[in-house]
Amino acid sequence: MRRLLAALAAGALLVTASACGSSGDSGAPDSGSSSGGTTTVKLGLIPIVDVAPVYLGQQKGFYGKHGLKLEISTASGGAAIVPGVASGQFQFGFSNVTSLLIARSSGVPIKAVSNGIASTGVAGKDFAGIAVQKGSSIRSAKDLEGKKVAINTLKNINESAVRESVRKDGGDPDKVKFVELAFDQMPAALDSGQVDAACAVEPALATIKGQGGQVIASPMVDVAQGTTVAMYFTSTRYRQQNADVVKRFQEATAESLAYADAHPDEARQIITTYTKIPASVLAQVTLPKWPAEPNKESIEALAKLGEEDGFFKKTPDVDALLP
Amino acid sequence: MRLRNAALGAAGLAAFLALGEAVPRLGLVKEEYFPPTSRIARAFADELSDDTFWTALGDTLTGWALGLAIAATAGIVIGVVLSVVPHLREATASTIEFLRPIPSVALIPLAVLLYGSELRSVLLLVVYASFWQVLIQTLYGVQDVDPVADETARSYGLGTWARVRHVLWPTALPYVMTGVRLAAAVALILAITGELVIGAPGLGARIAVAQNSQAVPEMYALIVVTGLLGLLINVGARTVERRALAWHQSVRGEVAV
Repeated sequence: MRRLLAALAAGALLVTASACGSSGDSGAPDSGSSSGGTTTVKLGLIPIVDVAPVYLGQQKGFYGKHGLKLEISTASGGAAIVPGVASGQFQFGFSNVTSLLIARSSGVPIKAVSNGIASTGVAGKDFAGIAVQKGSSIRSAKDLEGKKVAINTLKNINESAVRESVRKDGGDPDKVKFVELAFDQMPAALDSGQVDAACAVEPALATIKGQGGQVIASPMVDVAQGTTVAMYFTSTRYRQQNADVVKRFQEATAESLAYADAHPDEARQIITTYTKIPASVLAQVTLPKWPAEPNKESIEALAKLGEEDGFFKKTPDVDALLP
Repeated sequence: MRLRNAALGAAGLAAFLALGEAVPRLGLVKEEYFPPTSRIARAFADELSDDTFWTALGDTLTGWALGLAIAATAGIVIGVVLSVVPHLREATASTIEFLRPIPSVALIPLAVLLYGSELRSVLLLVVYASFWQVLIQTLYGVQDVDPVADETARSYGLGTWARVRHVLWPTALPYVMTGVRLAAAVALILAITGELVIGAPGLGARIAVAQNSQAVPEMYALIVVTGLLGLLINVGARTVERRALAWHQSVRGEVAV
């Protein structure tokens, strides 16, 4: 995965460089089309609970008010979004903090523009959790030593967080056997005993709880207080050439985040428009927090953890990533 | 005979559906992860009444048809040129054999880098995968041209174009049609895989959303749709093939004396 990302990063640099060369002197910033004072920007998203504020903000007209028309492109995984933004396919994207730090440490020129989601900060009541099957002998994170733990992507944010949970509980994270598995397959894998525990997020977590599974640790809560888990970002080049558009996107997103955070029922409602989460599951889903500002301490904590676990080529510069 | 085949086919399908209903009901697998046929059927009906489903179907078919058209045209043109121009075939043989086994899905990162999550990235995968099917069959087809027929055409003074039209093309056509039929199936698989992995709009992306949403019956309903689509495309391709080759002995079913 890291090698793939590095290769993509190199490719992205090339593409960006050549794009600079060809359109550099035209003077017209490639901000997409703009007409009548409205700028159309492409936003790369994963269609999951986390991005509800953007859909809600779009519906409420927060983006329109700031002269922005959002064109949402959905990608199945975060891995497609970072190169998409770096190469200019999207003007903005959504990705988790560790992925962004990995990209920065590999030299991909990206910069965060706004907060994405944060942990609820309440142990046992977060949108992410380490879950075990009903009646499992695993009671806390330390018990994961020697056990098979499902994780959506190896060497990324969730592995960092699970390792931290194990460490904080007095265990040795190197003794945990991590298995890569998509979130949606975790309930079945846990149920059939193929894995002993799973680090799941909503709505898979609600499904696991629904079948009697227990949450034994909240990894994002263990990382820091109010951990920033994901952010919206752009490329440094786009930011330089379109500072005004970036500022308007920042303001509109901040408004949307604040609105979604204050109106969880409306956020839940909008989720039904772009996902197929069954109503019975959605009612059980724990929503994340949507603060307008990223929490710098938590991002530094994730950078430190990623470094300890050897996820980065070189120490990522948190200040250079943050807006 | 045909009626009996159809009846047997229907019986086979009915048995399969009954099995799909019985296995989860008997508790052999959990209903949550493998819903019985009847629940999938209900989700299927819901899909059919949803406008966004038809948009997704349209997107997938657009990607499939465009990709197949580009791949077939390029495969035929390049195949004929490679065979007709002296030494070109030898010069390109190793390159073709090198490129052909590269799985199209391995190009997903490249596609995303170039085109993001748009139709064009799906097209890249579809064209890459189905182009080789047509190209290779065209090359074999042209190779199969009877040298005596070709020499005869030459001695009657037919020009290059006339020989391509009257000697080479009729010989190669059955091969080309086989290539196109194979390519049609491959193109569908790649169109849906591309959408599933990249997230470009279409049935594949819809399957991915259903998966992420823990909407299991909906996911299977969409998978059934892709299966039906594959079936229709195969039947369609066979019909086209039979029409185009109605004159050919393999279709006429009689031995030319």
